[in-house]
Amino acid sequence: MDEYDEMYGIEDDFEQQFADELEVMAEMDLMQCLISLWFLTAPKPKKRRQDVVKKLQFGVENCDDITPPSSPEVYDRPQVTTARHAQKRPPAIGDYITVTDSMGNRVYLNKKEDKEKRHRQVLEESQRLTELMNSGISPELLAEEQKDSGVDGDSGEDEGLSSRLWVDQFSPQHYTDLLSDDFTNRCLLKWLKLWDTVVFGRERKPRSTPADVRSNFTNAQNQNQSQRFKTKSQMTEEILEAELDQYKRPKFKVALLSGPPGLGKTTLAHIIAKHAGYNVVEINASDDRSAELFQKRIDTATQMKSVLGANEKPNCLIIDEIDGAPAAAINILLATLNRKDSREGEESGGNALKKRKKKQSVLLRPIICICNDLYVPALRPLRQQAFLLTFPQTLPSRLAQRLAEITRRHGMKADTGTLMALCEKTDNDIRACINTLQFLHSRGQKHLDQRSVNSISVGLKDQNKGLFSVWQEIFQLPRLKRKRIGGDSFGGFDEAGPKDGTQRLQHILHLVSSNGEHEKLTQGLYDNFLSMKLKDPGMLGVCAGLDWMCFSDLLNECVLHGQNYSLMRYFPFLPAAFHHLYAANSVPRINYPHSNYEAFTKTQHTKNALLAMLNDIPPAVQSRISISCLCLDILSLLLDLISPKLRPVNPQLYSTREKQQLYDLIDTMINYNLTYRQDRTPEGQYTYVLDNVEDVVHFPGLPPRRQLTYQVKQLIARETELERMRRVERAQQKRNSQKTETVKKDQEGKKTEVKKQTNRNHQQRLENIVKQTVVESRPELDFFGRAIVPKEKPAVTTTNGKGGGVVHIGKAVGNSDVWFRFNEGVSNAVRRNVYIRELL
Amino acid sequence: MVQIVISSKAGEGPAEWLLVELQGEVVSRQNTGLAGNLMGDLHYTKEGVPVLIVGHHILYGKQVKLEKPFETMETNQENPTSYTVSALIKKKLIFKTRPKPIITNVPKKV
Repeated sequence: MDEYDEMYGIEDDFEQQFADELEVMAEMDLMQCLISLWFLTAPKPKKRRQDVVKKLQFGVENCDDITPPSSPEVYDRPQVTTARHAQKRPPAIGDYITVTDSMGNRVYLNKKEDKEKRHRQVLEESQRLTELMNSGISPELLAEEQKDSGVDGDSGEDEGLSSRLWVDQFSPQHYTDLLSDDFTNRCLLKWLKLWDTVVFGRERKPRSTPADVRSNFTNAQNQNQSQRFKTKSQMTEEILEAELDQYKRPKFKVALLSGPPGLGKTTLAHIIAKHAGYNVVEINASDDRSAELFQKRIDTATQMKSVLGANEKPNCLIIDEIDGAPAAAINILLATLNRKDSREGEESGGNALKKRKKKQSVLLRPIICICNDLYVPALRPLRQQAFLLTFPQTLPSRLAQRLAEITRRHGMKADTGTLMALCEKTDNDIRACINTLQFLHSRGQKHLDQRSVNSISVGLKDQNKGLFSVWQEIFQLPRLKRKRIGGDSFGGFDEAGPKDGTQRLQHILHLVSSNGEHEKLTQGLYDNFLSMKLKDPGMLGVCAGLDWMCFSDLLNECVLHGQNYSLMRYFPFLPAAFHHLYAANSVPRINYPHSNYEAFTKTQHTKNALLAMLNDIPPAVQSRISISCLCLDILSLLLDLISPKLRPVNPQLYSTREKQQLYDLIDTMINYNLTYRQDRTPEGQYTYVLDNVEDVVHFPGLPPRRQLTYQVKQLIARETELERMRRVERAQQKRNSQKTETVKKDQEGKKTEVKKQTNRNHQQRLENIVKQTVVESRPELDFFGRAIVPKEKPAVTTTNGKGGGVVHIGKAVGNSDVWFRFNEGVSNAVRRNVYIRELL
Repeated sequence: MVQIVISSKAGEGPAEWLLVELQGEVVSRQNTGLAGNLMGDLHYTKEGVPVLIVGHHILYGKQVKLEKPFETMETNQENPTSYTVSALIKKKLIFKTRPKPIITNVPKKV
């Protein structure tokens, strides 16, 4: 007030006295420009000054203010409106709240109707922020804010009119609404954030103590799980913190989410992509995923951006149900991932230019793939190059909580116990639970209790469970469910009741038929059924099980031989019978079946060994034995026959009887194609091994056969070799001598220049030699493989047949009397024909 | 100091000879003496390996560069201390492998 008076030197008490009344009047008056002149606010001296200015220019402004102002600057309405609401007296009309400042001045604020929505939004926003801060996520991670509605509920809507699926209605719109595991959500978000540098050009913010966040999180988990999560989280941390490659892309360019259906994988992918600022492009199982179309779609999604419309966000590709995609499509995806920059390729060779029709640019957008079964063979190459995220099961408590919200919103009454039962029944499948609730609701059932939930058979999915889970179910008695809190007394008995007798049978049948691999299943049962805890003193159970196995085998044979596939409906009864015979309460330990494969390989091996042995047996003996006869009757006894007692001395020192014995032995061995082969054991010792035939007749449990000593075996081996060679040579010589007789007969008939055999006449022989040396055209190779230079043609020999053969030879070659006598120094090998018979 | 003058013929340079070195001795069987007789044949294979055929022996060798070349000189009659170079020897063929006999009775088939 003082400055007011000082500035203008006016002493006026009017405003002071009637300030409050003026304010009330100001609110009620319609001419707002006039009101502004009279308005006084206690805590704002600046405004007052302006108002004073207006006041001085009373006349001018008044005229101006009466007419609507031409330019908005004159019109200081925002000031006025805000100023209007802070008043000194409680306003006469409408709601108000009081605000007291630090000086003790109290002001009253109007509450306007049309601001309520904004107020609610602000309230929800603040709620959300507090939730965020409580759950430990730093706000920096959340880049762009979405519209901040929480669970979108149509609270006031009439249920009968709404035809939307509840699953869509209550689908999470925001990151915090997700029901899936927090760790998984965060991992995916972090991975997606790694793409920021290349997609948005944003630099990666340095990590601020992720260890604290991690430890907070793991403490909240189960003790068992925290162990696992610590190592898993370390692994994923490493993956996520790995260096970016040359194009600033993360090391794993595609993320692969896997898990049973209904967990919220697709929802998660969509939400996270939207959250990180991408526009989502989805390819799912409904689209045509043949090779060319797939390629085109990937290219459009990753390389193009929508220029029309409001979506100027970069694309993120989500490929749903990728385990059903054809392998060609997956190969195309891999090729896209591994694309290098085309510029480098072109420089390398001119051919590359011609071959490459399209420009191949590097992948610059993230791709998220979703599958149900991670171990489909088509996905194997993708698994190595993808960031794998396996979805754990949703926590039943969280799911029940969400279901409670949903039921509350739609006016259904259900207690927590019922909802937990529903969760268990559907195996924590979110979609199935919500669909069941909607179904029950639409049938008019507003009140849920456990009995109705348990007896319901709709809303459940066909599930294809893995082999190990099926084996577990077969060999384990189902656990009785715990009594729920607040469950009625009927509930307990009802749960035990259905789970015995017929119900179990039906359950197993259903389970086994939904998993189609009957062969593997049977093998697993066969391998594991003996290790189950049986109370079977008379072994009747085991016999029954084996009978069932025989039945199954016969059935299989009928099906395959006669293509009588209608018999396949009897396959599931084998596991059901096994369940009744062998199920126990404890958790079974199941081993993957190997015995079938091992037996098969052993049979093959044995057969091959026997065939190899049989092939080289001389025909005289081979005509009398066949492979089955050999295997069953002869072989084991034969191996005993060939181990007589022999002295390990030089065979020259043997007595006649021993020599005869040795000879017989060797004869037998040659006739049956048995030899001792020197083999080196892993320890480095040398042993003699009787080929592979010993394995054929090696039966576990029998005492080992008496083995000969190393020296005797060596002796026998050597003698056998010699005898073999002798026999071969004898056979050849017989063959050769027969040939010479036939050739001589031919010679007398015709005149041939080139003769294979030497003539009797010495002179003719020399002439032949000369002619032969003349006509030779092919260079002969000497001992070292070098070609001998064609010698000079020797002079025609004289017909002088007398004189030594040496002289003739000297004259035939190099007709000179100058000879060279070599002085022995280093000597290389001298070639001479050596016959085996000289060595033996 | 004694000075020995070595000069080469005017015009073209001295001839170049090749030295053949054998590890052994060359004998004459008929005792006719070696002088003037044909010793043998010297051939070269495609790869440049020298092949010497003496009598019924065949020798393989190789061509080696002499680290100290030789030269043959003739003394001048007027001036005993001046020599004329008649040939230079820079390379030699050395046959140091054991000679192989040339066998003429090799049957075509065993």
